[in-house]
Amino acid sequence: MRIIYLVKNFSDGDDLSEYVKSLAEYAASQGHDPCVVSFDDGSNYTVSDDVEVERFQLHFDGDSLYTWAMMMNNEMKGKVVEKIEDEDIDIIHANDWITAPGAVNLSEHLEKPLCLTIHLTEDQRGFQSENSDLISDLEWEGTFEADKVFANNNDVKNSLLFDLNMSDKEVCVADPLHRGWQDKILKTYHKILRKEEVEVKA
Amino acid sequence: MRPLFVTWEYPPYKAGGIAAHCEDLASTLADQGHEPVILTYGEEQETEYRDGVEIHRVPSTDSANNTLSWAMHLGHQIEKKAVQLAKNNNFDLVHAHDWMAVPGATGIKKTLGLPMVFTVHSTQKGRDGINGEYQETIHNLEWYGTYEANEVITVGREFSEEVKHNYNVPEGKVNYIPNGVDLEKFDNHTNQLNYNDYALDWEQIVLFVGRMYPQKGPGHLIEAMPKILDQKPEAKFVMCGSGATEHYKGIAKEVAGEKVHFPGYVSDQELLSLMKSAEMTVAPSVYEPFGIVPLEAAACQTATVGSYTGGMKDTIIHEYTGLHTYPADPNSIQNQITRALEDPGWTDWMGEKARERVEDNFRWEQISAWTTGIYSEALE
Repeated sequence: MRIIYLVKNFSDGDDLSEYVKSLAEYAASQGHDPCVVSFDDGSNYTVSDDVEVERFQLHFDGDSLYTWAMMMNNEMKGKVVEKIEDEDIDIIHANDWITAPGAVNLSEHLEKPLCLTIHLTEDQRGFQSENSDLISDLEWEGTFEADKVFANNNDVKNSLLFDLNMSDKEVCVADPLHRGWQDKILKTYHKILRKEEVEVKA
Repeated sequence: MRPLFVTWEYPPYKAGGIAAHCEDLASTLADQGHEPVILTYGEEQETEYRDGVEIHRVPSTDSANNTLSWAMHLGHQIEKKAVQLAKNNNFDLVHAHDWMAVPGATGIKKTLGLPMVFTVHSTQKGRDGINGEYQETIHNLEWYGTYEANEVITVGREFSEEVKHNYNVPEGKVNYIPNGVDLEKFDNHTNQLNYNDYALDWEQIVLFVGRMYPQKGPGHLIEAMPKILDQKPEAKFVMCGSGATEHYKGIAKEVAGEKVHFPGYVSDQELLSLMKSAEMTVAPSVYEPFGIVPLEAAACQTATVGSYTGGMKDTIIHEYTGLHTYPADPNSIQNQITRALEDPGWTDWMGEKARERVEDNFRWEQISAWTTGIYSEALE
């Protein structure tokens, strides 16, 4: 299974990066073919040789994280589209609102299933940015379009249910502090792909 | 060819000149056998077919706290629509119009793998300057658009140099293609102006058309009014346009009293009638990458007194199709308007020559053909 992980940046010590690193390394250990696509902020990262990492540049400074992120997503899409010229992919797995808009459009264009992990919602962060409404809209759109949404813990799940109006069955808690979380995610990938196969056959 | 236009405004939504430019270019491309598709803003999702052009509107958001964030959100929605359309259509390229289209157009370029053409209608530096992070970001988006585009189009010859300089664009990537006018629209229009709604029979209308902002120079014209009226009391200034109208009206009434009239909202048809009836139009802009007013006036056989700046260096030929003034110089504006009023025969003759020049040089058929030439280069 070829899995594309989308993450804002990929560097040692960063929470989201460590999450993606751990998940990608586990997927590789199970015989899958993971590829991490992230913005190149120049920082170091260490990861198993079995995990492919593609980083891209962005020649744009925004006046806010939101404007920067929207343009970053464009470069991210370009990198993924460039990748699939050589090989097909099976699953796109995005992380948080910051990669959601690109992931949604890639999933629709490439007709590949989308998984989204929400590590923390904008509601949990306290709506402190001038673009909080827009960020929350992107979270909603990502969770609405995704084939499966993973919550990092029960608090995130509660926020997804109450703040973003998701239904209980749409959210799967995969807590990195609990044993077996990577396996839970891999099994979900398989389930999604099996469902797609059945739909295609039907 | 099947170009995908990205523009934030398309008629009936109109704020500046981009909407009219896109409509005229797209409908002419369609007349010439191409299949332009427009992606633009609308209050709701809708599809419309007009003059051979397929128009898709998508809503943006009410949550954005400024135009920049609004444009980013719109760009995402526009790209989503393009991805849907691409399932049943093959597009040749994406054509972005000004900075607000850059997020959506570059997203389409990256996701669908299309070449990109970027028309720069004006620059942040020229419009308001770069005085903070917000304006810097718009400037960056303009740079990004020129960087990502395979070909860049500018609407003014002098403006091409500004674009190359501001964004360090390589010489061969920037192409000058002027705006045009739809002469049929002007010729099919019947002048039904009730002249006395604007001026007395013995008065001659000096018409300003444009947004009431410093960039368009209404203040310089107002400053020139008293001296013009001293010499030519038959002048009657009619100031049409949106923007800071009340501000300029207050100043103008103080210096020119009843000799200046701000009619407020004027329909497109009424505006054409005014242009046809005016002795001259005045375009006192300080910054004007192209400036459509002299061409529209010319289509009405009316001469323009306009600043020697930007596109008006090309669209007005001094003492032949109109008169040039020094930019931001009320004395110069006064001199040239007075000259035109002193010799109405000559002014009418300049109006006729302006019309001939528009017929020869600024037809959309020609502009559309140049544009498809640029498309071909982008596809190479």
